Amino acid sequence: MSALGGAGPAPGGAMDPVSSVIGLVLAVIFIGIVFVLAPAALMPLLGIILGGVLIGFGVHFVPVGGAPAAMGQAPGIATGVAMLAAGAGLAGLFGGAWAAELGVVVATITGAIGGGLMMAITCLMVNVIYVFGMGIPAASGKVAKDPLTGDTQAEYKSQGTEGHGLPFISFVGGVVGGLFGGGGGTLIYLMLLGVYEQYLPALFDAKVEQIMPVAVSLAGIFAIGMFLVNAVLAAYNITGTIEGPHDPKFKRFPRAIVASLVASALCGLVAILIVVVNLNI
Amino acid sequence: MTAQITVTEGGLPHNTLMIYGLIGSLVGIYLTYLNTVTGTQLFSFFGGLGAIAALVWGSDTIKRLCSYGIGTGVPSAGMLAFGSGVIAMLLATKFGIASPIVALVLGLVIGGILGYIANNILAMKIPVMIQSIAELAAVGALVMIGFTAMATGTFTFSPLSVIQVTVLGAAANSFGTSLIGGGLLAAIFMLGSIALQHGFNACLGPSEKQDRTLTLTAEVGFLSMLMVAICSFAFIGIGALIVSIIVSVIGWYYTYSQYITLSKRDAAAWLDTKPIVEAEGH
Repeated sequence: MSALGGAGPAPGGAMDPVSSVIGLVLAVIFIGIVFVLAPAALMPLLGIILGGVLIGFGVHFVPVGGAPAAMGQAPGIATGVAMLAAGAGLAGLFGGAWAAELGVVVATITGAIGGGLMMAITCLMVNVIYVFGMGIPAASGKVAKDPLTGDTQAEYKSQGTEGHGLPFISFVGGVVGGLFGGGGGTLIYLMLLGVYEQYLPALFDAKVEQIMPVAVSLAGIFAIGMFLVNAVLAAYNITGTIEGPHDPKFKRFPRAIVASLVASALCGLVAILIVVVNLNI
Repeated sequence: MTAQITVTEGGLPHNTLMIYGLIGSLVGIYLTYLNTVTGTQLFSFFGGLGAIAALVWGSDTIKRLCSYGIGTGVPSAGMLAFGSGVIAMLLATKFGIASPIVALVLGLVIGGILGYIANNILAMKIPVMIQSIAELAAVGALVMIGFTAMATGTFTFSPLSVIQVTVLGAAANSFGTSLIGGGLLAAIFMLGSIALQHGFNACLGPSEKQDRTLTLTAEVGFLSMLMVAICSFAFIGIGALIVSIIVSVIGWYYTYSQYITLSKRDAAAWLDTKPIVEAEGH
């Protein structure tokens, strides 16, 4: 984490209508290009966009604490979004990839469970370290009562901090975020895998079974790339740290959904173009 | 408008460094084409040197962007750079001899759009955001294509996906043993992003100096280059492999000793720690 303070957008998170519309127009153009060049890849592109939006939305649930959390001065998991995304989201992606041959629904749910499980383990161990290692209780600084359990927070909060540890609501938020992230990442992977299985055999003049290693690797590396792009853009939206779904910053999520939609449409377009562009040079 | 938090004095201006990095990386990556011209694989290591030129440029860009305090940590910028860079790079490999230039242009375009999303739709309002993310995506694409060229001796899509193997005397196409099919691209992805983000992440703070930060980036870049050289064992001949490893080790040793020298220069005091002396007789 950076030691530099968090600046960026003011709290509240109003949408900028002009740039949002420009972004959506760009997304429609990207979708249009795919529709013209490779009509069969249109539905996969929409799936990729849905996956990207799920990732961008899911990040808002995850209690990202950053450097202040590492010092016990703010609630959340003591690392940045990029690390949590790489850990939990990719765990879900790998889980879902194993189940790819069982169909989109089973594989996506498997990926979601993989991501959620990884976040549950992470949150549990974070609290074990906070409580038994650092000797601090879990208390939120943003709400007076936990929205789920109704536990009061103020008595447990140390003076001069914004709270510490992972309160129940943050724990639940982490698991929900993992479910969204893992499911979204797996959906991107499955959609790309379908496109490559369809186009690569003709490109290399080979059978589907032969090109599977290339199709799997390409879909995997593109899914990782899009996952990180969406996760980091969502991290910019929350300026690095968030407590969970009860944090006021959570209300900024519509902005991140527009951002993830445009970014996923762009990345999906490029990932599909790789099998469409065939220059033979 | 977000205020700039830290400003480092001295050092090369960013634009000068950008031009050096850009030209250095393109020249380095194109020098691997000597492989095709001369019919050997000995020139593969130039790809790694090109990647390091791009890394040094990218490290300065990260410093410029993160000096505004984006709040998400320095590694996130590196991850965004490579997440978008790998997408640009893979499409660029379809363009044959023009691949490195296409990678640069595609990286700038994809990064520019992502920068617009971050700056305007997400309302970050950082003056250098669009330019920085465009540069970072281009750096990510160039580093990946440079390391790929080093590992395989080529930077076009077909040789990266298929290699000819001889099975019982008959030539056959093997997809699983290629750079992309074997998944080595993922290793190159992480090796590159670690090298890109580590320099400024480790050196940021008071009395950060440009030459020390960039030397550290080059040092980690040479370590990554060494790992890529070991990966290249699967694709290029043993002679070219040894050349790559020797160049990486010499480069690493030079930049490491330079970094130690610069750290001693910038440190308030330098005490060589000694092994803990165990008191005798108890």
